Order: sequence, then C-alpha cells, then structure tokens
Amino acid sequence: MNCEECQEFIDACIDNELDAATTIAVERHLRECAACAQILEARKGLRELLGQPELAFDVPDSLRTRVLSSLPAAPAKPKERADRFRQRVVIPWFSVPMALAAVLAIVFGLALLRPGWLTGGAEDRTLAAQVIQGHIRSLLATHLLDVPSTDQHTVKPWFAGKLEFSPPVQDFAQHGFDLIGGRLDYLDRQEVAALVYRRNKHIINLFIGPSKSGHAAPVQSFSQNGYNVLHWERGGFFFWAVSDVRMDDLRAFADLEMQLL
Amino acid sequence: MNDEQARARFENLTLPLMKDAYNLARWLMRNEEDAQDVVQDSYVKAFRFFESFRTEGNVRAWFLRIVRNTCYDALKTRNVKERELVPEGEINDIPDAAPGPRASVVAKATIETVREAIAALPADFREIVVLRELEGLSYKEISEVAGIPLGTVMSRLSRARDQLQLSLRERKEHDDL
Repeated sequence: MNCEECQEFIDACIDNELDAATTIAVERHLRECAACAQILEARKGLRELLGQPELAFDVPDSLRTRVLSSLPAAPAKPKERADRFRQRVVIPWFSVPMALAAVLAIVFGLALLRPGWLTGGAEDRTLAAQVIQGHIRSLLATHLLDVPSTDQHTVKPWFAGKLEFSPPVQDFAQHGFDLIGGRLDYLDRQEVAALVYRRNKHIINLFIGPSKSGHAAPVQSFSQNGYNVLHWERGGFFFWAVSDVRMDDLRAFADLEMQLL
Repeated sequence: MNDEQARARFENLTLPLMKDAYNLARWLMRNEEDAQDVVQDSYVKAFRFFESFRTEGNVRAWFLRIVRNTCYDALKTRNVKERELVPEGEINDIPDAAPGPRASVVAKATIETVREAIAALPADFREIVVLRELEGLSYKEISEVAGIPLGTVMSRLSRARDQLQLSLRERKEHDDL
C-alpha cells in the first residue's frame, strides 16, 4: 500500500469501518511510513478533543414537555384521515332542508315571542346553530383536543402550518378560564382554530377564523337548548364562543378575549 | 395495534433519542430556540409517519434523518440569514487534503474553541462531524441519515476532519499571538 491509498483509508481504519484485509494493509503502511503515522497522531488528537462529553448540549427541561404535549393522541393513518375529512365536510342532502326548516322555525318562533332578539342576520343564526353542533360534537367524540396543553406558547405554534392564519391564543387561568388546548375544526365550510377553555367543570369552545369583512363587529348573543353562544369580530378575526356556562360567564370570557385585540 | 399502544411504542422508541435529536438540531441550526422548534416539529412529523417506520429498521437513523431534513427545511426558510453566516465561497474553497493540514497535530483546546471550530464548518462537514464524532453513528447510519452513499461518507468525513484540524490550529495560533 502506498501513501495515497493509506490516506484514503486512514479515517475508515480508525473508525473500524474497513474490512480486515485493508485494515492490515493500512496498519502495516503506518508502521513503515513516518509521514502517514503523523496523520494518524493528528487524528488521535482530534478524536480526543471531540470525545469530551462537555461538548454535548443539554436538552432544555421544557423541551420534553413541549414535545409530549404537541403529539396528537394517535399516529395518523392516511385512509382514516381522508375519511374524517369527508365526514366533516359532506352533509347528507336531506339534512340541509331539515336543518334550514328547524332554524327557520326557531327564528320565527323566537321572533314572535321576543321581537328584540332578532338583532343578528339569519346567516349568523345559522352559524350559531353550527357552532353549537360543533361544540356538542367536540364533547361527544374523543376529539376535544388535538393539542392538549395549558401553555399558550405551545398551542399557538401548533396551529402554524395547519392554518393559513395564526389565531390569538391566550390563557385566562387567573380569571377562572383555564386554557386546556386546541384542535382544528370546521365552521361554515372552512377550517378554523378551536381553542378549548375550562370554566369550573364546563367546557368553552372558542372558534376563531379570519374575518371576511375585516371590520370589528359588536357582540351578538344566541341561546339554544341550554347552550349560549357569543359572536364578535375584532382584529381581523371572527370569534364564536360557545358553552353551557351561564351567559354572564360567557360574556366575562368574551370581554377578556376582546381586551387583547 | 390500537392508538394507545402505538403512542406508547412511539414514545418508548423516540423519547430516548431526544438528546441526539436536540444536539444535531443545535449544531445544524446554530441556535437554541430554532433547535427546540425543529425537535418539536420532528417529533410531530415522525409520529405522523410512524406507520412508515419498519419494525426491523434502525429507529435512531430513521428519526435523525427526519430531524436533519426538518433542519434543512427550516434553514431554507431563513436562508437569507444563513447565507450571511456561510459565504458561498467558503463551501467551495476547502483546501485539498494536503499532508500539511492533515498532519497538523492539534494541541489542547478549550471546549469553547472546539465548539467554535465545529460551528464554523460548512453545513455538509458540520453535519458529518456531529453525526460521527459527537453522536457516534456508523458510516452506514450516516449514509442513511444524510442520504449519501457510503463512499461519500468516507471521503467527506476525511475532508471535514482535515478542515477541523486546520481551523483548530489556526485558532490556537491566533490565541497564542
């Protein structure tokens, strides 16, 4: 073996990556050639420097928690994911007129009883019904949370890359509204962020999406079957808060949320 | 396998690799915050593609490959800054493996100096030095993680070590002045 070959294989040799025959040839050359032996010495010195355990960086304590809370409950199976998507979007044809009829009946019934209630448009009322459905669905299924975390700095980045907007995420634990996580949901055929808060033992879903009008809109309230819904727009986002907590509580929650934007 | 078992299996296999993942990301991103973001993203990605991991496969190489690719994706999005740090010329302007730098014996150097020298390496070299010297991967594992043939692992590692020795010697001379 000549110097050129020896130098080609010297690294693989000290890394124990060579076959026995080549290793023997390299080692024989190293015993006979002072120049190549010097390279070996240099490599040994380098290895010593790089072998110091202090060189490694310690993993920050918070990273493990952060990783664990960002993992969804189960690995995605491509087929299931597609199915879930379809389930959410496709509404059986017969349910559309039925839902419309139901909503109209409620709207007109309420309008007759309490004329002052009709502040929002019919469109908003349909959406309010959807919001309540979304809320109930989130409680029935095991799909309340995609990202279970009480840390707003974990929840907010989780949405990045999943939505085309970055929803405002804030924990109001000091006011008795604990952020417990978030998930992706659908509202009015578009993807929205759903933030989940806990008030005592009640769950509040807050749906957030990009506002179409872009203007701030005052709070509208809706109630149906024991669920309370508040809707407002601010800072380029629309908000739908829904829960079975008392309306006063939900208003207090909305006030907190609105102070931010 | 149900969802709970899948999650438990994933955690058992990948959580012990967090130190390796973090260190690789830390060296490739060259900053702590980005490294943490990359590690988090890598775990989410790995979990999403966990089905594609073969039981008999090498979980460390599989996972570190995801970390490595996530790093490069993240670097691409902030490539303007990165280009400022590593001038194009530096990557192409690596001295040939002349016996001079190869044989330069590195004397003592502080941890800080060694870290600086590694951080100053071009990305290709830095990656291979970290995988081999700091994380102790075999050539075959490196080939899997970096997506390069075994022969390239051998020659690139050799050149990376030359460059590192040279850089350490220069730093030493500079300090001695």
